[in-house]
Amino acid sequence: MDKGLLAYLLIPLLSAVVIPFAARNRPKLADLLANVTLLAGLVNLLWLALRPSVIAGGFADIPGDGFSLLLVSAVYLVGLCVTFFSAWFLDEKLPNRQAYYSLILVSVAAMTGVVTTTDFFTLYVFIEVLAVTSFALITTDDSGAGLEGALKYFFLTFPASALIIAGISVLMLSLGSLSFDALRVFMASDIPSGPVTFGAALIMLGFIIKAGVVPFHTWTPDAYQGAYAPVSAHLAGIVTKISGVYAIIKLATLLRFFDGRAQALSGILMFLGMLSIAVGALAALKQTDFKRMLAFSSISQVGYIVLAAGLGTPLAVMGAIFHLFNHATFKTVLFLNSASLEKSAGTTDMEKLGGMEHSMPWTSWTSVVALLSTAGVPPLSGFWSKLLIILALWEAGLKTYAVLALLFSIVTLAYFMMMQKKVFFGRKSQAAESSPEVSAPLLAPAVLMSAVIVALGLLFPYFYTYVKMVAERIIL
Amino acid sequence: MNLILIPIVLPVVTALALLLISERTKYLKELLASGAALVSLLAAANVFLQPPDMLSWRWFGTAAVFTLRADQLSAFLLLAVSLFSAAIALYSFSLPKKGPSKWFFFNLLMTQAFAAGAALADNLIAMLFFWEGLLIFLYTFIALSQDTREAKRTAMKAFLINGATDVCLLVGITITGYIAGTMSMSEISHNKLTLDYGWSVFAYVLLLIGAVAKAGAFPFHTWIPDAATDSSAPFMAYVPAAIDKLLGIYFLARASVYLFQLNNAMSLVLMTLGAVTILVAVMMAFVQKDYKRLLSYHAVSQTGYMILGIGTLNPIGIAGGLFHMINHATYKSCLFMTSGSVERQAGTTDLTKLGGLWRAMPVTVLCFVIAAAAISGIAPLNGFFSKELVYKGSLETGYTVFFLAAELGSFLTLASFLKLGHSVFFGRRPEELRDVKEAPFSMLLPMLALAAVCVAFGFGASLPINLFISPALAGLNIPHPYLAGFHPDKLYFLSVIVILAAVVNHMLGLAYGGGKADKASDHIHYAPVLKEAYALAEKRAFDIYEQGMDRAVPLFSRTLYRADRFFDWVIDTAPSSTAGFFSRVSRGFHNGSYPLYLALTLLGAVVYILLVGGLK
Amino acid sequence: MIYHALLFAAAVVFAMWAVMARRLLTSAIMLALVSVTVSLIFFNLGAPWAGVFELSVCAGLITVLFVGAVSLIRHEDEKHPESRARFYALPLALAAFAIAAWFYLPEFFDALAGWRRMASGGGTIGLALWDLRRPDLLGQVLMLAAGVFVIKSVFPRRTEK
Repeated sequence: MDKGLLAYLLIPLLSAVVIPFAARNRPKLADLLANVTLLAGLVNLLWLALRPSVIAGGFADIPGDGFSLLLVSAVYLVGLCVTFFSAWFLDEKLPNRQAYYSLILVSVAAMTGVVTTTDFFTLYVFIEVLAVTSFALITTDDSGAGLEGALKYFFLTFPASALIIAGISVLMLSLGSLSFDALRVFMASDIPSGPVTFGAALIMLGFIIKAGVVPFHTWTPDAYQGAYAPVSAHLAGIVTKISGVYAIIKLATLLRFFDGRAQALSGILMFLGMLSIAVGALAALKQTDFKRMLAFSSISQVGYIVLAAGLGTPLAVMGAIFHLFNHATFKTVLFLNSASLEKSAGTTDMEKLGGMEHSMPWTSWTSVVALLSTAGVPPLSGFWSKLLIILALWEAGLKTYAVLALLFSIVTLAYFMMMQKKVFFGRKSQAAESSPEVSAPLLAPAVLMSAVIVALGLLFPYFYTYVKMVAERIIL
Repeated sequence: MNLILIPIVLPVVTALALLLISERTKYLKELLASGAALVSLLAAANVFLQPPDMLSWRWFGTAAVFTLRADQLSAFLLLAVSLFSAAIALYSFSLPKKGPSKWFFFNLLMTQAFAAGAALADNLIAMLFFWEGLLIFLYTFIALSQDTREAKRTAMKAFLINGATDVCLLVGITITGYIAGTMSMSEISHNKLTLDYGWSVFAYVLLLIGAVAKAGAFPFHTWIPDAATDSSAPFMAYVPAAIDKLLGIYFLARASVYLFQLNNAMSLVLMTLGAVTILVAVMMAFVQKDYKRLLSYHAVSQTGYMILGIGTLNPIGIAGGLFHMINHATYKSCLFMTSGSVERQAGTTDLTKLGGLWRAMPVTVLCFVIAAAAISGIAPLNGFFSKELVYKGSLETGYTVFFLAAELGSFLTLASFLKLGHSVFFGRRPEELRDVKEAPFSMLLPMLALAAVCVAFGFGASLPINLFISPALAGLNIPHPYLAGFHPDKLYFLSVIVILAAVVNHMLGLAYGGGKADKASDHIHYAPVLKEAYALAEKRAFDIYEQGMDRAVPLFSRTLYRADRFFDWVIDTAPSSTAGFFSRVSRGFHNGSYPLYLALTLLGAVVYILLVGGLK
Repeated sequence: MIYHALLFAAAVVFAMWAVMARRLLTSAIMLALVSVTVSLIFFNLGAPWAGVFELSVCAGLITVLFVGAVSLIRHEDEKHPESRARFYALPLALAAFAIAAWFYLPEFFDALAGWRRMASGGGTIGLALWDLRRPDLLGQVLMLAAGVFVIKSVFPRRTEK
């Protein structure tokens, strides 16, 4: 475990424990505490990573492998957006406001734990914590759909946990240790690697299920659609990405040390990634519910990351890491906007909405920025990450995958344009007449994230240096 | 400033300046344009007498060199172009039916500038630039000369025919430059290309198409008769009669003699093309009932002589071709000018409505008679000498058939001009034309000048041949014998026989047509086999453009339309319906059933584990 | 030996309680206690790794999941309590089994005890937990906190209805 980042785990935990006591009689204090905790953490992280001296030094002073730092920043950024949004979104009558914030903070702590750990078992424990908290968070508003989503999430990812623990047992039996380094050392030796490969494959399968990669994606649409509105942003934006996709990237980088002995695994990973891209994008085309479309889009975008992770070249890993970060930004914007729509118009059914840009211009335009970034339109951040991934595929000689990835990027643009047209553009619908723009604090997170998207796109050279440093530290 | 630039730059500047002048001003535009044309003529004369240094600009290193060079041939051509520009500018001074005079002079000067550029360009790319520029002004010239739909249509026809052939020229020039390794014509001429291999034959044929199409040879001539009725007389006198012939034949000579070393087969092709052009066009001209249209067919027909002359590939033939080029421009311009005068004074050019104008328009008649005699090859006018050279050249090749075709062409030419002159200027004067007066002086002057040139070049044929044609041949690097002089030999007597035959034919036609001069061609027009052929020609069955527009183009555009629909389908419908199908399937699949989802997850897990285990 | 026997007995009692409890929540908590005693037995038998994992996975994680799940369906559970009458026979059956075992199993237990690797094992519980698996401990703390908040978040809503 990376000691340098331990505080980012402990402080939210502490805050989570304090909130219920401190805010027992004043629920609003819970909002404040949670936001302050995450904001302080984020500021600290930015100071750590973006000091002028650090940038000038090519990010050589970053603690750990840099990947962790980047992801912790993403976790805090999304967490802050969600808590800030929730502070104005939550129903006053909600009985367990304090518990809600505590759960979010615990999940932030758990995610920090996931991205900083160097041991399979610890990874497993944190991921289970994450599963438990998200399970409770999904049902926050106690709706039927939320309950259904939560149960599906729970029961369909349960086999994943079983597979992971089984894989860990196999690794333990063969390696005698569970740290990532032990695997690396073992692979450098000449001992037959059958059982270790098998164990790694089982763990990988578990994380594939948790990441919602096709054909194990079935829980995602129901969970995202049913979840309490800000929670779906939290869940889709960062939780499932950390609990599944991050682990896949981590494992995939380790797979490189298998030295060709796990080629079947890499091949399957890439195939599943491509399948996810295709199925997610195609399924999103015909959705009528905004949140459900976003869920399928999320599956599709996860596919890009998994595809790149399976390829495993430095460039591809760079693309995967960057896309993971970008996905957190643009998907959070879109889900938060869907929450705004839900609050203002009372529905996310695209058939009932229309012409919302007249009454909700900010929501509309932040959606445009996010969707263009998702589809990979320059100069937004999503363009660069997709470019890296497609370039890496092309360079590795996988031209079919590269072309397909590009094609489905167009499909992505197609369904999002369709969404934008149905929901925001066009003539004012009845729903648009009666729904005013949400208040400024609710818009602030989406605007902040959109700014991040644009800034990352425009300042890509700096970010490229950073991501390159990360990829080098991980792979070399 | 190099003198060589004046004939190019001055007209362009003047033309642009003309656009700034109001249409309502009187004579200002005319004066300005005539002045520019005259100054250009002086400059051209100077260039001809004292060839200046060549002028060269480079662009992208040596990728494209823009060279203007006045060798003897080019300078001669420049002089001719400037001369006709000046004559037409003067002639158009008080001609009303020429469209908006601002645009008329604009087009005139632009055409002059680009023609001068094409004549002077030594570099193929530069030449192509000017050549293509002419295409634009050809279109605007016709389109703006009359305010009718037909004018626009004919303009488009001319534009498309010349555009298509210019594309051939472009490709030909590209290939030529590629084979030769240089775009400079003078450099290529030091090491002429031979027709030994496919690419060079292809390149030459493309250049040939470009050149003869510009000259208006069969089968690219079909826009000229249409333009005769749909545009103005000065345009006809200037562009198809003079500039196009000059440039087309000039480049044909350049390509055939200067750039390429032709073989016998290609010479036969050229001569056949010339002979066919002579006969087809003159047959058509013979039966026309419109002054300008009849002249326009002759403009095509005479091209045949030039092509035939150059196709002989011997110095006499080539000299004949070039001499005929300049002669033709002279008398055909003059003839078109007379038609313009008649049109201005009598209000029509329809032969059936005209007659007996000789009393009213004596000067015009005089010019007409001289020019008509010249075109018919009556000694001792200039047409006789150039035709004589062509005949000699074709006899020298040994293929008598071409000589016979040329003589037959002469016969019909004379016959048709007998008919034309008789029906317009002689015979009975219709009542409506009682008040017709002679044309104004500004129109008569250029006519007279050109007629005088016809006479001068005839009686003093040695003068132009020694002054212009010999240097031109020298410019083409052709050693040649002494050319000039009147030879009362067999050929002369043959031409007398042809004249007599034509007169007899005219008598016959008059008798057959009931004494009406405009029906003097009917005995041939309605002869058994020819009748059907003419009927088909009237229906434009031999006009590749019309046929193409009626048949090939609709077919082609339908095919393109289908292809477009297909691509639309491929791009538009097919992907969206495929995607729609898959997304409907997937939407149907995601029905929320937990057992189904779990089954899929477990099945996927099993397959995954089997695959990871290495199962193939 | 006495410590051993006590642990065994406690495990059996907790297990029985888990089966026979009327409320699912009690069952879940008892199951957790079974896991805790079993992990203590592991440590005692010199298998600290197994003990740590038993503690982490079973006592920590599974319990939290169970408690969470139970809290969701507590409403139904309380409306229609399950009949446990048939399980009253269980203590009797167990007693009969214990008496039989008293005669037949001592040799087996001796053999089991003999397998214990003295002193050379993974050390004490503290060592194993604190030095080797410290991050897991953090995970456990998080897990507990999560469990508490889950219950706190889910229960009030359920009771309100």
